[in-house]
Amino acid sequence: LDRFDCIIVGGGVAGLSAALTLARAGATFLLVERGEFCGAKNVSGGVLWGRDLARLVPDYWNDDQAGFERFVRHRRLTFMDGDAAFSLDFKSEGFGEPPYMGVTVLRSKFDNWLAGHVEEAIAEQGTDSFIATGVLVDELLREGGRVTGIRAGEETFEADCVILAEGVNNLLTRQVGLQNAFVPPDYVAVGVKEVIRFDRTVLQDRFQLDERSGMSNEFVGYASGGLEGGGFLYTNRESVSVGLVLALTDLRDKQRTPYDVLAEFKAHPVLRDMLRGGETIEYSGHVVGTGDMRLMPREVYMDGLMVAGEAAGLILNNGKAIRGMDFAVRSGIMAAETALQAKDRKDFTAAGLSRYRKDLDETIIRDIRDGQAAVHLLHGPDMFHTVPAIACDFGREFFAISDKPPKKAAAIVSESIRRHSSYWDMARLGWKAWRGL
Amino acid sequence: VNNPRTIQDRLALVGYRNQSRSNPKAHILVDTEICNTRCPHRATHFVCPARCYTIDEQNHVHFQFEDCIECGACLHACDQGAVTWRFPDPEEGRGVTWRMG
Repeated sequence: LDRFDCIIVGGGVAGLSAALTLARAGATFLLVERGEFCGAKNVSGGVLWGRDLARLVPDYWNDDQAGFERFVRHRRLTFMDGDAAFSLDFKSEGFGEPPYMGVTVLRSKFDNWLAGHVEEAIAEQGTDSFIATGVLVDELLREGGRVTGIRAGEETFEADCVILAEGVNNLLTRQVGLQNAFVPPDYVAVGVKEVIRFDRTVLQDRFQLDERSGMSNEFVGYASGGLEGGGFLYTNRESVSVGLVLALTDLRDKQRTPYDVLAEFKAHPVLRDMLRGGETIEYSGHVVGTGDMRLMPREVYMDGLMVAGEAAGLILNNGKAIRGMDFAVRSGIMAAETALQAKDRKDFTAAGLSRYRKDLDETIIRDIRDGQAAVHLLHGPDMFHTVPAIACDFGREFFAISDKPPKKAAAIVSESIRRHSSYWDMARLGWKAWRGL
Repeated sequence: VNNPRTIQDRLALVGYRNQSRSNPKAHILVDTEICNTRCPHRATHFVCPARCYTIDEQNHVHFQFEDCIECGACLHACDQGAVTWRFPDPEEGRGVTWRMG
């Protein structure tokens, strides 16, 4: 049997979400993954924000074997210079109740767990659907303008529609002309991270966690070596993920390498104290969209084809979190639901699939559009140099107790601003932040 | 305690496919002639997290695909047309298998 209702390219979060939706509805599909298993090629920072995972696997938190690491109960945003760290720190019991607002993940394990749910759903429905791993799709088959299937090496497979969930390096999306063959570096960053293992009780004591709760810490300033970008530290079950996301153009222009900046970040006194005694078990890296809408393909559907997840440029960076995996879940579900509706109506033309775009426009794309002001705010050097410098200067004066006559907070703030910037520039930044964040 | 200090230490923690294969098929081709004659920035050397692009003492760019982690940084960073970028062949190529990801 070489013909399916749907072929899904990519066994990441978007592809598996589409597959699970199709499997439960009893549709036939072939999911093709180039890695040895689903998750083998996938990297994220890694927090899956929002509540979309519960739409896919309801009550996943009741499953002790669930593939996530910890739910985020404690959030911290840290402004750094070379010597100090000034943090906004927020911890809430409410964050610790399901449905959680974010879970940390390690993709190799997480995606594989999701694939297990897909296999289970296929078995329950008894449909002729498959997950094929270790298979690289070379090209999309087309008849006229319509996508009719895939070619992988010598083999071809046909379907009524194809869902491309191939990730940010979306070669097939480019091949069919939905995006230019060359996507400029301006809208992407490279993420690098280390997974550092700790004894579980040490980890929980150090970060004040219980068995399943976790923390997310984002870093601005010295973390990225003053480059456009930021740092992160997320707690997993028995490890932490610590890393950076750095704009490609800034690495190029300032002639820095991501691993050198990462080494400096880890050596900062604040990180050094958090990471003491840990053992690095993996180093990884991947490109990620900056959240700039200009990364998106010019369209996300055509005759017989839909594009989901980061292949469709669905990344939001509004200064509070970089979100992508939740959009992968939701766009995967939406693409599958559109495919199911198209199957009922026997209409897989672009017109028949246009509902997918409409669903995205009313949800994810709307949110991404609202986040563009924040993306532009986060684009300038002020956020990565001036603001952290002012915050740390303020902290050094405000929290210090000495023999000198104490200064009022307002005086300390105005001195720090004058040292690193000007009232005018900070007022302008404040206005942008007021509107953008 | 494993505390990697260099990029080589870090890459030693990465799991690759077909590590025993003597001649894996290259998935990325780089025309270093372009890097060496007319590239104004050599961005690939700076953005690559796996140090696949090196610059020698004669200021020449060299590329090796064996350490590549398929991240896509050079795919986006090279605006000179020097990089032909594909995913590694699952059978004959190299490429990464993340244990954590």
